Amino acid sequence: MSEQKLGNPAVVGLAGFGLTTLMLQFHNVGWMGMGPVIWLGLIFGGLAQLIAGLQEMKTGNNFGYCAFTSYGAFWIALCLMLLGNNYDLFKASTTDVGWFLVAWTLFSVILWIGAMRIHGAMALTFSLLLVGFILLDLAHFGYPGLTVIAGYELMVCALMAWYMMARIILNELFGRELLPAGKPWIA
Amino acid sequence: MHKMTLGFALALTLGSAPVLAADTSTASAEEVVAKVHEAAQYLHDKGLAGFADFNNNKDARWVWKDSYVFVYSCRDDAMIAHPLRPDLVGKPILQMKDDKDKALFEELCKAGAKTNGGWVEYWWPKPGEGKASRKISFAHSADVSFKPDIQVAAGIYDDKLTADDLNKIAEKAAAPKKDAP
Repeated sequence: MSEQKLGNPAVVGLAGFGLTTLMLQFHNVGWMGMGPVIWLGLIFGGLAQLIAGLQEMKTGNNFGYCAFTSYGAFWIALCLMLLGNNYDLFKASTTDVGWFLVAWTLFSVILWIGAMRIHGAMALTFSLLLVGFILLDLAHFGYPGLTVIAGYELMVCALMAWYMMARIILNELFGRELLPAGKPWIA
Repeated sequence: MHKMTLGFALALTLGSAPVLAADTSTASAEEVVAKVHEAAQYLHDKGLAGFADFNNNKDARWVWKDSYVFVYSCRDDAMIAHPLRPDLVGKPILQMKDDKDKALFEELCKAGAKTNGGWVEYWWPKPGEGKASRKISFAHSADVSFKPDIQVAAGIYDDKLTADDLNKIAEKAAAPKKDAP
């Protein structure tokens, strides 16, 4: 039996991460309401990315396994927290949400270091994500105006995630290095 | 024993009578600033679920004497909560004009966006009245989880005080609210 070609779970993980992050930023900069963000966050950024992450296990990619599963869980937790907040179920003050984000910032630092060993696109995506998280942390601890700046910054981050998704899909379809990944920042 | 309880209850009722009478008086600028700060802190702690407390609730702590706290979003151009005017809740605010043709919410939004909030003068009816009176309101931003750009405001009805006089009171009362870290 010949070996069956398998898809790369990262394409779904990156798609969900990118699209949901983008939608949240459309909200954060004031272009749209929260409704679609919650449902997409639960299903695409949350469930789909979580499943993609779990599928990364079989590819032997610990970075993708940890990143996609965790950020998938992040989205589900964030959306459930928002729903709970609306219905007075487990209070989450602005400060509480701030600490939630601080924990995710610290977590992202570890993946950011790993990302710099992978390739330039990954390093740039995680750098943008980390800066975005730090801006959101500050926005929750006395500088609410930074939410909008974080919004635009994280839009670029989301588009970078899509760039990596496009790389995997298009490079395969075109049969050549249509979109380069760039050199790792840490060799 | 029973008599004593009754006597105590009677004393309590009589004792509270002057307080009840005082409730019909006018709210002071200091009270307004304190209430607005209290409301901002309440929403910071409570999040989205906190809005309901301000709506349609004449007995809540957000209505006192001749004043009340209302909640709105300038970015969403909507009244979020108004204890005395449920008809305004969810409606656009920025195009609203007072009797002197002043776009009051445009000014409230500007004043509320300042770090320590600010006062705005406009014309608005007193609770239970149809005719507009001169009102000066204090607007302040509130950090609400998942809902950026919320402001809370309350006002006094006064014919003499100016927004500049009152900004001094607001500056003095600016609560040093700093969360860790």
